[in-house]
Amino acid sequence: MTELKESMQKAQARLKKRHAAETRFKAFGIGALVFAFLCVVMLFSSIISNGYTGFRQSYMKIDITFDESVIDPQGKRDFDTLNRADYGKIVKQSLYDFFPDVKKRGDKRTLSNLVSSNAAYTLRDMVVADPSLIGTSQSVWVMASDEVDMLIKNVFKREDDESTRPITNKEIAWVEKYESENRIETRFNTNFFTAGDSREPEQAGIRGALMGSALTMLITLALSFPCGVMAAIYLEEFAPKNKFTHIVEVNINNLAAVPSIVFGLLGLAIFLNIFGMPRSAPVAGGFVLALMTLPTIIIASRAALKSIPPSIMEAAIGVGASKMQAVFHHQLPLALPGILTGTIIGMAQALGETAPLLMIGMVAFIADVPGWINDPATVLPVQVYLWADSPERAFVEKTSAAIMVLLGFLITMNALAVLLRKKLERRW
Amino acid sequence: MKPMTKENAIDIDKSVDINNEMTNPQVSSLQIPAEEVKIKAEDVRVRYGEKEALFGINLDIPQSKVTSFIGPSGCGKSTFLRCLNRMNDTIDGCSVTGNIHMDGVDILSKQVDTVLLRAKIGMVFQKPNPFPKSIYDNVAYGPRLHGLGNSKSDMDEIVETSLEKVGLLKEVKDRLLEPGTGLSGGQQQRLCIARAIAVDPEILLMDEPCSALDPIATAKIEELIDELRGSYTIVIVTHSMQQAARVSQQTAFFHLGNLVEYGETEQIFTSPQDERTKGYITGRFG
Ligand SMILES: Nc1ncnc2c1ncn2[C@@H]1O[C@H](COP(=O)(O)OP(=O)(O)O)[C@@H](O)[C@H]1O
Ligand SMILES: [Mg+2]
Repeated sequence: MTELKESMQKAQARLKKRHAAETRFKAFGIGALVFAFLCVVMLFSSIISNGYTGFRQSYMKIDITFDESVIDPQGKRDFDTLNRADYGKIVKQSLYDFFPDVKKRGDKRTLSNLVSSNAAYTLRDMVVADPSLIGTSQSVWVMASDEVDMLIKNVFKREDDESTRPITNKEIAWVEKYESENRIETRFNTNFFTAGDSREPEQAGIRGALMGSALTMLITLALSFPCGVMAAIYLEEFAPKNKFTHIVEVNINNLAAVPSIVFGLLGLAIFLNIFGMPRSAPVAGGFVLALMTLPTIIIASRAALKSIPPSIMEAAIGVGASKMQAVFHHQLPLALPGILTGTIIGMAQALGETAPLLMIGMVAFIADVPGWINDPATVLPVQVYLWADSPERAFVEKTSAAIMVLLGFLITMNALAVLLRKKLERRW
Repeated sequence: MKPMTKENAIDIDKSVDINNEMTNPQVSSLQIPAEEVKIKAEDVRVRYGEKEALFGINLDIPQSKVTSFIGPSGCGKSTFLRCLNRMNDTIDGCSVTGNIHMDGVDILSKQVDTVLLRAKIGMVFQKPNPFPKSIYDNVAYGPRLHGLGNSKSDMDEIVETSLEKVGLLKEVKDRLLEPGTGLSGGQQQRLCIARAIAVDPEILLMDEPCSALDPIATAKIEELIDELRGSYTIVIVTHSMQQAARVSQQTAFFHLGNLVEYGETEQIFTSPQDERTKGYITGRFG
């Protein structure tokens, strides 16, 4: 009797222990999930809170006198003269006129730095477009310098001690005079999307990196998609099942796990040094990333081809299609959603890749927007890396803004992949 | 597996096959005049890699009749059927030896173009397998492959007559462009038959065409087989003895890779000669 009781108690204790273990396990699972979610929230909120101001830019309205003696003293009005004239001087003059009390040379230099050097280009473009402006006076909105921009965006705080911020009280007073006359406003920063990289944060844009990424992706896609799909079809449907194809298969799977920097070194050694492709160019970057993307596409395509029921192939072969016709008329079109999904995911990986591109020189400072695949270029993630490395405070928001653009593309691509899969997938 | 052939060998004196008395254990009560033989199979052996699936099949299939293959599953009915249109070619490691003549032509020979062969020998599969395309494209696929119906109106006619023949035209007339996979199972199977006959074959091979269908759809297919009999030589694999009895004129009973008995359907079902046939038909095994 007591024995039975004892063994029952023991069983009870074991049961309790098991329940406790289960509860613990569940708690760990939920904990891990919460932790992961918090990390994502933190990452995103940090990026967004740092970056959203990057999409806005402060502009100042200054009164400009288009002085003929500065722009075109000889009255030629030809493009060359108008294009090369010293508009910076006109901009400075406008600022000096606004503050007639500023006399000291040092102060004058500081004063002229309130507006971006981009202001001169704004004026030049206006005059070139309409030479009749010469001799007139106009109010013109020009870009503020990055320090003023940071002040307006309250990154540099007025209440802080003067020594701790890069903008002096004197400068703040000048800015406040403009503010009091409603001559300062922040607008959507179109320049961020239309300009290439620049040393001046307020003038830096991601157009160059975007174009570089687009051109690189173009090469990557053009190389890896057809090669990958063809390789997958051959391996899946036509290749004899022997040792050689087995080795090929194993190595394709291995290739998918090779660190990306190795592909960069390979590209440096082969594409640049042996084939003599241009350094820093999307064409070389595209080749390197194509190598990296190939295994992903091959593996995804093979899985997609394998998932098509053999009865469809049988049906086609049964009415007299050759194997190749059966594959290209039926199996491949049906597998295409899966193949495209794999391709998009592979491309998204390639889009976010930095390391291999550093090896082939796509990390240089390039202010021009690349026009074609052999122009020097950089790509979005490398641009992020470059800006993150820059000392100016205003580059912080640019970095985060560029990350947001990059993440936007990646999320769009992944969403597209999911959508494609949902939409085109057939069930049998 | 191999010794089975010898073990299962039955009284040789019952065998009427004159050519292969020694090796072939088969009982055949069938006398088909030579000119009516559409397909003549001699000593067909099939192996999948190391595994033997058929041990020397000898069988004459008469023209414009329905021949059914019955037998327990795994006995090689489908395997033999797939030999007839060389579908086994597509299976890795499958080898077929022996002779199969169709209208006197050796169809196992390397010179035979399987594409043309399969245009002459249509096939319908166990599970309805329409292409996930429109009904029209399903039927038109074969003719397009073989360059038939070059003009739009010719193709329309081929599609319509094919659908008409399988009695599907009335049902799908105004949704020819809708996907074939949207039809009911029975309709899908008839669509597959229409697809097979659209290339104007001489022979139709059907591998358990009704096993995935409900009784009403099955009855329709059986009716259809009866109608098609005049124009095509039909070979049907079935696991239902009632079906074999209803639709076929000849029945062949397979067992463990051997053709055990072959004869007039009525004779097979009323007075089987072989013990195994008897056992299978009376439901003692299978
Ligand atoms: N593709 C294949 N690979 C290997 N063995 C197969 C294959 N198809 C059929 N077999 C084998 O051949 C034998 C006959 O199969 P099958 O012809 O499909 O039988 P049935 O149609 O009479 O049920 C079975 O033992 C089966 O396991
Ligand atoms: Mg079968």
